[in-house]
Amino acid sequence: MSARLLSLQAVDKRYASVTALSGIELELGAGQGLAILGPNGAGKSTLLRIMAGLAHPTGGKVQFAEGAPQRSRVGYLGHATLLYPELTARENLVFAGRLYGVEDPGARADQLLADEGLSGVANRRARGFSRGMAQRLSIARARVHAPELLLLDEPFTGLDEPSAQRLSLRLEGLAHEGHALVLATHEIDRAARLAQTALVLVEGMVKRRVNAEEMSEPFLRTAYAEALEASP
Amino acid sequence: MNVALAILWKDLVSEWRSRDRVMAMLVFSILVAVVFYFALPMLRPEELSALAPGLLWTAYLFSALLGLNRSFALELENDALAGLALAPGNRGWIFLGKAAANWVLISIVQILTAGVFALFYGIDLVPALPGLATVVGLGTVGICAAGTLLAPMAVRTGFREVLLPVLLLPALFPILAGAVEGSGAAVAGRPIPFAALQLLLVTDGIYLIVAFLGFDYVLDE
Repeated sequence: MSARLLSLQAVDKRYASVTALSGIELELGAGQGLAILGPNGAGKSTLLRIMAGLAHPTGGKVQFAEGAPQRSRVGYLGHATLLYPELTARENLVFAGRLYGVEDPGARADQLLADEGLSGVANRRARGFSRGMAQRLSIARARVHAPELLLLDEPFTGLDEPSAQRLSLRLEGLAHEGHALVLATHEIDRAARLAQTALVLVEGMVKRRVNAEEMSEPFLRTAYAEALEASP
Repeated sequence: MNVALAILWKDLVSEWRSRDRVMAMLVFSILVAVVFYFALPMLRPEELSALAPGLLWTAYLFSALLGLNRSFALELENDALAGLALAPGNRGWIFLGKAAANWVLISIVQILTAGVFALFYGIDLVPALPGLATVVGLGTVGICAAGTLLAPMAVRTGFREVLLPVLLLPALFPILAGAVEGSGAAVAGRPIPFAALQLLLVTDGIYLIVAFLGFDYVLDE
């Protein structure tokens, strides 16, 4: 396994009397892809928000390998786009770059817009973007500070098939460029393509782990179905 | 500091393009002026002058509540607040940027509202302008400091319209006391009492420090 980037030890998250996560253990290597599968309400988004530093665990530990602080090493794409609709695509990226202290946010914004094929709409306000364009701009936003780890929460939701396909290829490209990816999704085929390992969350607990040797779409599909069946 | 300036720029550009926050606050302030005009029809000019600072600050406070609520409701659109919370470094700078943007936008509405009040009630505010501007500016710093701290908590609940006034108004009593006393003196052509300025400065300082340090916890889930 590559050098360890992130580890979670016995992580719990409770909201009043509701247990969202219980006893989560995982390790992620630099440049590695991890898929988190599970039905709605399984705790996937909560787990990603804890990894991003947006939420604190009630118990347990989240540890990054030594280096810069957690928030500057993580790029996060949630259910929402995190974009400001009244700002243009370029302004959104320049603003995000300034939040992260990027040295030349204008140049970085131009580079990311070109990467995502959005240079032609750089000066258009984000309000007018289609879901697919907004998602590409969100990915550019998540990458503005060149993070080591990208956290992607249901990134294909709401996209039509061609847009989802384009996004999937883009994420494969980012994985090849060396980004570690954590992908929460229902889409097993895409998870199998983008991740080397997977875990199935049900009711806040890890019910099944799939390692790199086992990873394939049919195996993942079976493992997921078995984990759901085994849960009450 | 760069983060604060970036947020100030972002909020002002967004507002310039949408104009929804300033318009909502301004319309509300004018309506308050109209309501008081009809509610107090028989007042003599000297009675109106005595009441004007209190009426003005009532309009200022309630329109500021509207603006502060809206300021963070906009951050919830597309979960942009999470985008701010993800930024590395001291979150106090995020507070400072949001508070500065709120101060600028609320001040614009206050200037226009003062003009409307002067017109409606026939009060000449021009001689009072330097003193009034000092008191209103200082009072608004406190409103924005406390409001920018409390608004993100309020907007993430199901009672956002109710919760912010309930949390914020009690915190603004000292500001209101100093601001009304100082504004009254300015409108009457008297020097602003030192005690009123002192109260505003001390309250502003406390709220700014508490909010700068406490904003880290406010943005956490």
